[in-house]
Parts: sequence; structure tokens; C-alpha cells
Amino acid sequence: MAETSSHRRSEATVPTLIVAARRERDVRPHRLQQIEGAGAPRLIPLDREEFVMGRDEAANIRINSARASRRHALIRRHEEGFELLDNESRNGVLLNGLKVYSAVLRDGDVVQVADGVFVYHES
Amino acid sequence: MAMIVKFWGVRGSIPVTAQRSRVFGGNTPCVEVRCDGELFICDAGTGIRELGRDLARRAPAPKAAHLFLSHLHLDHIQGLPFFLAALPDLRVHVYGVSDDDTSRKRLLSGELGAEFLPQNVEQPRASLVFDHLDDTEPRRVGDVRVRSLPLKHPGGCHGFVFEHDGRKVVYASDVDLDSGTSGAKERTATADVMTLRPVPRALLNAARGADLLIVDGQYDDPQYRAHMGSGHSSCLTATDLAIQADVKNLALFHHDPDDRDSDVEAKVKLCLARAAKLGAELPIFAAREGVALKL
Repeated sequence: MAETSSHRRSEATVPTLIVAARRERDVRPHRLQQIEGAGAPRLIPLDREEFVMGRDEAANIRINSARASRRHALIRRHEEGFELLDNESRNGVLLNGLKVYSAVLRDGDVVQVADGVFVYHES
Repeated sequence: MAMIVKFWGVRGSIPVTAQRSRVFGGNTPCVEVRCDGELFICDAGTGIRELGRDLARRAPAPKAAHLFLSHLHLDHIQGLPFFLAALPDLRVHVYGVSDDDTSRKRLLSGELGAEFLPQNVEQPRASLVFDHLDDTEPRRVGDVRVRSLPLKHPGGCHGFVFEHDGRKVVYASDVDLDSGTSGAKERTATADVMTLRPVPRALLNAARGADLLIVDGQYDDPQYRAHMGSGHSSCLTATDLAIQADVKNLALFHHDPDDRDSDVEAKVKLCLARAAKLGAELPIFAAREGVALKL
């Protein structure tokens, strides 16, 4: 078919193919902010798969309190961020004041292990 | 031996995915109770899909589960096909409790309502074993005593009581605690009247001394008055039930799909304030997806 001026106009207005994708966000590690207890204030980046919280000197997050078990609790990576687990401690773990066995953490959650009080921050 | 209770779905009526409900979660009812090596599941809302994914990762994988359906409203069964597909080696004992056991069996087997519950007949899935739980007769599963009790809810509903080694968990997901009591509208219009509200006697007796009472607390009082007849409770009446039953922990359940996290937290604060005014030291919290308790 012979090219017409209307065809030429149509070609001119057809946009070239644009591929758009969401930019990958710069993701900071989630963090635990200790606000009370020995060692506060401190900011702990959650940049590994698992953290041990407890009185043990080898604990990743040391809780210097006689009320803390040696390996009191775990903070473990979860598909939705991180999960808090009571590691069969003597005195338990509190999440927002509630004694829990485990919990998927959400931004702003307050975690208490013995005298240590921490706020969980998502990136 | 301890009982572990984990919340996999706590939202009522319809699943919610909005950011505003991210803390407490948007999956519809599903609660896991683990005790004495046995796996009990209350309801098969969308939360059961996540439970199924988790069970598939557990080592060793469970071979059997006992599923108790409070009733057949969609929000309490809609996750089941996905659960069954995720665990083809699992044997699921499904307990019927009401006169419609036949329709329950047909629905869950896929014979009835196949157009609503997606099933790929070529795909292996968990096997179902149908059993019956009578309101008048508790059952023993291993060393755990399980019984059911009827609850006031449109179309009928049942709650379940799990007892083992002196510990008790009560699950009453959908119930209008004020239904059938006179003066409900007036009582809920004056929330600052410090008189304990009348509650259903059967549920009160069943919940007495429970380590954990999981109960419908969908509404505050104004919401309850606006939705009377819907079959759900005021969280303040749920609080009064827990106080009268002298339970050790109260979990408000079946959160309203329109409630933001802050609305759910506000309900907990209302209940704590009421309990304090009534002189009760009662831990009250809102059931939250992904949280497990050890009793």
C-alpha cells in the first residue's frame, strides 16, 4: 500500500519501546537499637544469618546481666526479615511486653532479654 | 510437657494485605497447637497456607495432623486446598462436630464446591481422614484431651479446648458473647460501667483457669452496636469473659479487616484499662501472625 501522510504521522507518534523496571533500592541491614541495660546505647546492624543474644562472652549480642542465660535468644534471618526465638532460656524473652517463644519481628518492636531492651528497625 | 501455640492467621472475614495491617497480619484464621508430639490445627483460613509451607521445611516432617474447623465460613476454610497440596505425605484427621458433617466431608473432599476451591486432581495432596467430635464427649489424641463446644454465631460455630498435663488452651474464634443476653445494647453504650458483663455459661466453664483463651474480639463497643447480629464480639465483653474465667492470658482474635495496626493496639489498651479498673491482673494481647507462645 502506498505510504500516506497519515501513516507517516502515525509512525512519528508511535513511541519507541520503553523498558522500565523498578530500581533496586539500596537496602540497609535491619538493626537492633539497644536503649536500656548494660551496653546501651548501641546500634547493632543485623548483617548476618543468625545472632546469639546472651550472657556468654562468645554471644554476638552480649547481654551483661545475671538474669540472662548464656545463649538466651536467637535473632535469625527470616524471609520477612528476622525472627526472634527463645533459646530455652530460664527467664524468657519479651516482645512488646509479652513473653513469646518465637516471633517474626516488625519495625518498631521492642525486644527485652533480661535487662537489655532493644528496638528493632527495618531498613 | 509444654504446649506451643502459634498464630498463623488472625484476621477475620477476608484476608488483608495492606501495609496498615502489617504488624498483626492479614491472613484469616489458623492457629497451631503442638503438644506431646501431636499437631493440632484450628481452622484453615489463608494462614494455613503459611503453616503448610513451614511444615514442609520441618525436620522431621510431620506425618499426621488433626484439623478442627470451627465452621465452614469461607475465611475459615479457604486456605485448605493449598495446605493439602503442600504436604502430600501428610495424613490429616478432620473433625466434624455438627449435623452437617456430610456436607463438610463432601466440601473438603472436593466433591462439593469444586468450582470455588481450586484443586488439581492430578496433583498429589495430603490424605483426609474424617472423624467426629461430639460436644458431649471429649476425645483423646495421644495424651491430649480435646473437646468442642457450640458458640453463638450465624449458621453455627464451635470452639475447641485442648488440655494436657494441667495446661489448657481454648479457641473460640467466632462468637457473639453478648448474643442472647438482655441489655447488650445498653451495656455496650456505657463502657465505663464497672460491672462484669454476663457471658455464655458453657464457654465460661470451658475457659475456667485456661492458660490461654483465644477469643473473638473483633469490635470495640461502638463497632459492636453498629454490627449487632454479625456474630462477633466486643473486645470488652471478651475481657469480662476472661476475668470471670480467671484465665492466665487473653488473646484477642479475629481482627476486623478494616482495622489498622493502631486500631488493634487501641483495642488492647481499652481492654487493659478495663481489666485494671476491675482489679484484674490479666495479660491481654492481640493475636499476631508469626507469634508463638510456650505454655
